[in-house]
Amino acid sequence: MTIKVCVPRDATALSLGADATARAIAAECQRLRQPVQVVRTSSRGLFWLEPFVEVETPQGRVGYGPVEAEDVPGLFAAGFLQGSAHQLAQGNVDAIPFLARQERLCFARAGLTDPLSLAEYEAHRGLRGLRNALGMSPAAVVEEVVDSGLRGRGGAGFPTGIKWRTVAGALGTPKYVVVNADEGDSGTYSDRMVMEGDPFVLLEGMAIAGYATGASYGYVYLRSEYPHAARVLNQAIATLRAADWYGASIQGSGFAFDAEVRIGAGAYICGEETALLESLEGKRGMIRYKPPLPAIKGLFGQPTVVNNVVSLASVPIILDRGGKYYADFGMGRSRGTLPIQLAGNVKRAGLVEKAFGVTLRELIEDYGGGTRSGRPVRAVQVGGPLGAYFDQSLLDLPLDYEALAAKKGMVGHGGIVVFDDTVDMAEQARYAMEFCAVESCGKCTPCRIGSTRGRELIEKIVRGENVARNHRQLLALCDVMVNASLCALGGMAPWPVLSALQYFPGDFGLPAGKEPAHVV
Amino acid sequence: MKKDAVIPRPAGRRGGPTLAAADAAKLQPILDRWAGVPGSLLPILHDVQAAFGFVPPGAVGPIAAALNRSRAEVHGVISFYHDFRQAPRGRHLLKLCQAESCQACGSRELTANVERALGCRLGETSADGAVTLEPVYCLGNCAVSPAAMLDGELLGRVTATKVHRLLQQARSAR
Amino acid sequence: MWSELRNLREGVDLGTPPRDGAAVSLTVDGKPVTAPAGSSVMVAAALARCPVPKLCATDTLEAFGSCRMCLVEIQGRKGFPAACTTLVEPGMVVTTQTARLQELRKGVLELYLSDFPAGDVPGGWSELHETMQQTGVTTHPYVAGENHLQAAVDASNPYFLFDPAKCIVCSRCVRACEDIQGTFALTIEGRGFQSKVVASQGECFLDSECVSCGACVQACPTHSLVEKSLFEGGEYRAQSPQA
Repeated sequence: MTIKVCVPRDATALSLGADATARAIAAECQRLRQPVQVVRTSSRGLFWLEPFVEVETPQGRVGYGPVEAEDVPGLFAAGFLQGSAHQLAQGNVDAIPFLARQERLCFARAGLTDPLSLAEYEAHRGLRGLRNALGMSPAAVVEEVVDSGLRGRGGAGFPTGIKWRTVAGALGTPKYVVVNADEGDSGTYSDRMVMEGDPFVLLEGMAIAGYATGASYGYVYLRSEYPHAARVLNQAIATLRAADWYGASIQGSGFAFDAEVRIGAGAYICGEETALLESLEGKRGMIRYKPPLPAIKGLFGQPTVVNNVVSLASVPIILDRGGKYYADFGMGRSRGTLPIQLAGNVKRAGLVEKAFGVTLRELIEDYGGGTRSGRPVRAVQVGGPLGAYFDQSLLDLPLDYEALAAKKGMVGHGGIVVFDDTVDMAEQARYAMEFCAVESCGKCTPCRIGSTRGRELIEKIVRGENVARNHRQLLALCDVMVNASLCALGGMAPWPVLSALQYFPGDFGLPAGKEPAHVV
Repeated sequence: MKKDAVIPRPAGRRGGPTLAAADAAKLQPILDRWAGVPGSLLPILHDVQAAFGFVPPGAVGPIAAALNRSRAEVHGVISFYHDFRQAPRGRHLLKLCQAESCQACGSRELTANVERALGCRLGETSADGAVTLEPVYCLGNCAVSPAAMLDGELLGRVTATKVHRLLQQARSAR
Repeated sequence: MWSELRNLREGVDLGTPPRDGAAVSLTVDGKPVTAPAGSSVMVAAALARCPVPKLCATDTLEAFGSCRMCLVEIQGRKGFPAACTTLVEPGMVVTTQTARLQELRKGVLELYLSDFPAGDVPGGWSELHETMQQTGVTTHPYVAGENHLQAAVDASNPYFLFDPAKCIVCSRCVRACEDIQGTFALTIEGRGFQSKVVASQGECFLDSECVSCGACVQACPTHSLVEKSLFEGGEYRAQSPQA
């Protein structure tokens, strides 16, 4: 009887030797003449256990990890094909606490299937959303997404349905769907996991978006740092075309939709939607002022839906189970679930998809297990490089757009980076300005020059030069950047700096108890 | 006066750097492949860099002509994006992530260590031309920081020992 | 309507190009004013004789929105919209001068001045100096910061020279070469703080795609691109309108 053994092909798993592990398993099977089918699946997102090998037993999937190539003979000897005990055994995968307490809507299929098998995708509720959508009017599809309360998961949190409504009502043809797959925030990898692990759910979401808004073509703007995702997406698109789910008349419906992948070239600013559109048009990734909104005047001047990967990947389930099903998860104005990514100095780093409302402490301590180093958690940055740094006192905040914004933090794309007590927060603040300077498009002065001056001021403060004066100047500069920048890069780079000054003044050689100057 | 007006494009007092015939022949199929595709400049530049190892300054004129744009415009695009280089680099390309998640897991110390071992700073090439060391800001491998990429291969939970071993393997494999 | 107004205010740069639209009534600094639909708030402010400081805007070019000097306050809107990229709307209430706006403009101009040759500040006369006078900002608090003051001058063209030290990357030259002349000989090389105006692939002007029309020189607000005829006896001396 052939036993199925799953080894992920996700880039993180590969970066830890999953290919070697898979080869070792295949070799050992041959040597022992064991009939085994090694399937390369998506990752469950339990990255501290990667390469995570799952064996399908009559009791369900049993997991082992982290399995390196040299561990393989020992596993076979211990009888792992029967799910037996071993030092690396993690037991029944569904029962692993990290997984069991999640609410996986977008990541429902993570770890279960071969990412490029359309048959497996359909067997796990794939394509139901698009089938339903094609049987509804485009306006009804838009309303379903409005009802779901889905907000842009890239970071801006703008209601997705309202954006689609605007594009649907905009005049002009052709219209486009553009996927923002320029996931540049440190601490984030959920977009990457979707594209590598469940590409069809993204492509299905894109087609639904096209149907709802009247767009017939989609571009996935993918950062060049994700070569695996590019390969998987291109193969998935080819598969959909061959199966008549992308093309001139999808499943004979008369609705035409197709898409292609375009690769970025090393510019974080191209994660901002207008710079992204400029880049797609073959230009320098410079910010366009808004209005006009891309929904009205976007790619090549045409009405364009620009959505994040997870936003679009959350659409099929909305059209499958209904907007209300999605909206029933969450709290306040933050409906549905968010794929949270634990990263940095954390013991159990991985993907946690939960309804809005879970607290930072629960995520870092219960799911994450505290720091990887074992030292105390000192600072946490939520929402990417433009997010505030929080100290221990703020970890009971719930992950919710409004709750974090009230503390000058942000949910962003859901990344959480954990730092232990060896972190130098002045150095982190300096880096925040340095990163802004490295990635600045250069169009507006507050960011182009301000980020360099900001870095210089922090360096002077740390060196003890004219501290009081330079501190005052830094606050004034942050005020200018926040209020006068053309986009959120310059506009939000001060947040990690101001939060570091507020919660960790000692690291700068500043006295405690200083509030930042007014920043509106 | 808008771009679409029919004005003969000035070739410039001089037409800028040129390509050797063999290189021009290598470039042409790339330009043909993307002819008529909207917004094709970045895909063209990626293909050119894949073919030549960098974007030769002499390629800018032909690319511009193929797209009915000026050399200035194309040069502005190339120089904007950090991925595109206008000169050849070392035989091996090692990118070390410098962003927050990797910082939380010791990327600064790792970087300093590798810089010392290679005898060059981030953004430079080792004296023997073997390794170009570059910063990268997030590889999406943040669950297993610190991360790096060597010749396009993603690495996780990177240590100085691991880097040195892999570089040695790469150098001897040549 | 537009030509009449231009005759009345000869020599005034209204900031963004003229539009032909139905008259829109709004209020700027308490003064009622009308501007053609499609005009920017910057134009309306200029027509109301409450001109907003500007550096990257000029009425021969479409709005760019980069210098951030022209920020205003608009009733009912959050933040500080740029007057050049905000279109007039009926009943709009605009304020161009508040303590807050002055604070922000000062902050922006100080950043510009922190990378500008200090010696030129009292000396030469250009739109930058006009803006400095308008806002009352002539110095900056940044000590010994990174700068571009050592950049070499390109004097290859017989009629004008380019002094990158005085460049504020407003891109008016690039935009003029594109939209007025249609030559596209200029670009910005690099990005961020390293942004640099270059001709073609970084050649000197004379070797590039430049056709010597002078549109960029006319557009430059800081005399970074400047006619050589303004030099006498090898010393830079520009004419102040009040001289």
